[in-house]
Amino acid sequence: MFAEIFSIAFQFADVFAFLILAAAGLAIIFGMMGIINMAHGEFITCGIYVTVICVQHGVPLPLAQAIGALSAGLVGIVLERTIIRHLYHRPLDSILATWGISLMVTQGMLIVLGSSWQGIGTPLGSFAVGGYTFSTYRLVLFGAAVGVLIGLYLIYMRTNYGVMARATMQNADMARALGVRTQRMYAISFGLGAALAGLCGALYAPTMTLIPTMGITFIIESFVTVVVGGANVLLGTAPAGILLGVVRTILNAWYGQIAGQIGLLITVIIVIRMLPEGVSGWLSRRGG
Amino acid sequence: MTPMLNVLNGPQTLGNGRFFWTGFVLVLMFALGYPAISDPYDVGNIAYLLLSTLTALGLSLMWGYAGMFSFGQTAFFGVAGYTYGVISINLGASGGLTFLCLLGGVAVAALFAALLGYFLIYGRVSGVFFGIVTFATTLALAAFFGQTAGPEWAIGKARFNGFNGMIGMPPLELPWLDDNIVLEGIALYYFVLCLVLVVYLGLRILVNSRFGNVLVAIREDPLRTELLGYDVRKYQLITFVVGSALAALSGGLYTAWGQFIPPASMGLPAAAMPIIWVAFSGRQDLTATLVGTFLLLLVFQTITVYSQQYALILMGFLLLITVLLVPSGFVIGVGRLLGRLGRGVTS
Amino acid sequence: MTAILETRQLHKHFGGLSAVADVSITVMAGEIHCLIGPNGAGKSTLFKLVAGTYAPSQGEVLFRGEDVTRRKPYERVGRGMSIKLQVPSVFRELPVAQNLEISLQRTCRGAAMEAEKARLLEFLQLQDDAGKPAGFLAHGQQQWLEIGMALALQPTLLLLDEPTAGMSPQETERTGEMIKSLNAQGMTVLVVEHDMTFVRQIAQRITVLHLGRVFAQGSTDEVIADPRVEEIYLGKGHGH
Repeated sequence: MFAEIFSIAFQFADVFAFLILAAAGLAIIFGMMGIINMAHGEFITCGIYVTVICVQHGVPLPLAQAIGALSAGLVGIVLERTIIRHLYHRPLDSILATWGISLMVTQGMLIVLGSSWQGIGTPLGSFAVGGYTFSTYRLVLFGAAVGVLIGLYLIYMRTNYGVMARATMQNADMARALGVRTQRMYAISFGLGAALAGLCGALYAPTMTLIPTMGITFIIESFVTVVVGGANVLLGTAPAGILLGVVRTILNAWYGQIAGQIGLLITVIIVIRMLPEGVSGWLSRRGG
Repeated sequence: MTPMLNVLNGPQTLGNGRFFWTGFVLVLMFALGYPAISDPYDVGNIAYLLLSTLTALGLSLMWGYAGMFSFGQTAFFGVAGYTYGVISINLGASGGLTFLCLLGGVAVAALFAALLGYFLIYGRVSGVFFGIVTFATTLALAAFFGQTAGPEWAIGKARFNGFNGMIGMPPLELPWLDDNIVLEGIALYYFVLCLVLVVYLGLRILVNSRFGNVLVAIREDPLRTELLGYDVRKYQLITFVVGSALAALSGGLYTAWGQFIPPASMGLPAAAMPIIWVAFSGRQDLTATLVGTFLLLLVFQTITVYSQQYALILMGFLLLITVLLVPSGFVIGVGRLLGRLGRGVTS
Repeated sequence: MTAILETRQLHKHFGGLSAVADVSITVMAGEIHCLIGPNGAGKSTLFKLVAGTYAPSQGEVLFRGEDVTRRKPYERVGRGMSIKLQVPSVFRELPVAQNLEISLQRTCRGAAMEAEKARLLEFLQLQDDAGKPAGFLAHGQQQWLEIGMALALQPTLLLLDEPTAGMSPQETERTGEMIKSLNAQGMTVLVVEHDMTFVRQIAQRITVLHLGRVFAQGSTDEVIADPRVEEIYLGKGHGH
């Protein structure tokens, strides 16, 4: 009995981790600037490839993953400075621009990197509970997801950047009038979002075979989590992850992966019918 | 002629003058004569390009005129394609029955659009989220059909075949006297040309009508429009269903043309294509959309022969520079320039 | 005179805040009724409850004897209300003439529409700007255009939320004359306003809101003469 319960909890943790890690970077950028970054999947891919290349050159996995996340963040900042910053007053156009970039990067990588690479294998082996075996690395991923949530909470509630970022989110004009350099806030936030996307890729790199179009694996999950969570990453993303995680776990267990994915989508459509501003909009309105 | 032109012309379309309609007639005459100066393979290929413009016209209506960012045109394209396959394979359709199958495909996709649209529009889903949810829908459908490789994934005699896609559906057949004309090559070309003409002129009438006036009002300011007494959400839902049904018509025709429909027609990068066509061309004008989409498809196909990747990179690049340089669209820009020249000539 | 609009014990809460509490007002057919009160009195909230862009927490709205509390804004407009919001919201990228057409096409078409459009453009003094995008008009002209769009619906009740906000004194006075001339043709008008000069110019009856409640109600002379009103409103409110 315990083994069954553990197994369900484990699967939930796995799904939850995937949703949170996939969505965190997207949610930060959306919450800060109202931009949906269609190149999100490519930042994830960037994290994956950098990690794998580092590992293949003998860098220890955790360090390789950090480098993967950082390089995605750097690419993000460069992109923000060169292109995105021209589009802040045109949120829809920023979607189109990032979509164009996404297309170019994916196809460019297909040309440069070829279609598929050898993966690096999942570390840490497995453990057994009752009659079931579980991958230890999946627990690390869950820990990382929780860590990301806590880290974001600390960044936004305890640091200087966080205070100014929240002020900018509430009212950018007012924040500017109070001396917040909003342009810099945006650049940092975009970089942070990109780095988190890179981290997602870096963390999942050991679990997948590598193809340049793999960013798409994460896209549906990240988009639906952000839509359900709404604009406030602190308030919305975790509850959205839990809600969608439960739905997905149940559907995965009963009907398989694809039913899980379609179930997510249906949940989103129902949630959005009831809470147009997502969970965070609803929570903050209830809070007065 | 004048009263007919009156309903076709109006503030919502750029080309309204004698200059424009002269050009229109010339282009149409060239299109009608084209099969005589080309080989049947090319003609069939042009038919394929033409049928894709229907998807773009639908998106222009939704996005350019009514301000709804539907990133899910390919979802309806695919649903109609698969539905055409399922119905026609199971009925063993031939003759006029194939048209009923096409109609069935469009109807199923339109119903799906109505359902999805109801939840989104009546949930007051805002612009960007509307794009994201419709986009996620088409990706999820692509993923769903992608994993239908097993023999258990079939409806009656129609196998889904996973990534490889559904095959074996009949082409459209037009009953003619005692015989059926199989719509392939030149016959299909003329059929699609007529369809595009009818849809284009029909949409022109629609957007220049009172209905179209309300659509652009909604695009500018939905609340203001509601306060003028219009049931905004009803207008949006109708528009979404019509626009999506046009994508479905494309999908059904495509499936009948190639006797094949794969999940890749819904997923990435396919889902980005209608957005690029319409954004590059100029979403706020049907003519610009039609012309621009056709030209882009032609360029894309020419490059694809050498490398699909480079063709797609070009598409991504075009989208990026459109947004950065000419947000209202390149073809619309050229059209406005021509309009100015045209006025210069006639005056 | 018959009541054209009635609110019965309307309440509207936002979280813990009560923006409108127990408000019952009556607007009689054929009058110009002004809704005044200091900032934060709940005027705009009450206006939105009447227009239907907010749903009340409690209470009813009756329009021409029919309970329209659950009716959406467009349904209320269809029953003869016409609404102009505080912030000018014209269709900025569309020409002035098309702005009017979008509204006019609900009531007329063809030659009748062209005639009505010309009449309105003249009434609004916008003849020379008919082809301009509405966003290019001056602020005051946008306000007039929006009043014109509201008029094009041929309403029985015209609702105006601070129609003179941002206008010069001359423009304000002209707006007042416009409203009075409409009223002379039999139109009922409900105006939310805090510019007392303007209110004195046009009002026939006044309802004063204070802290979300009805503070005083009566003819213009009675209300303006009421020392309590002076205290809460004219005293503090003049600073704006």
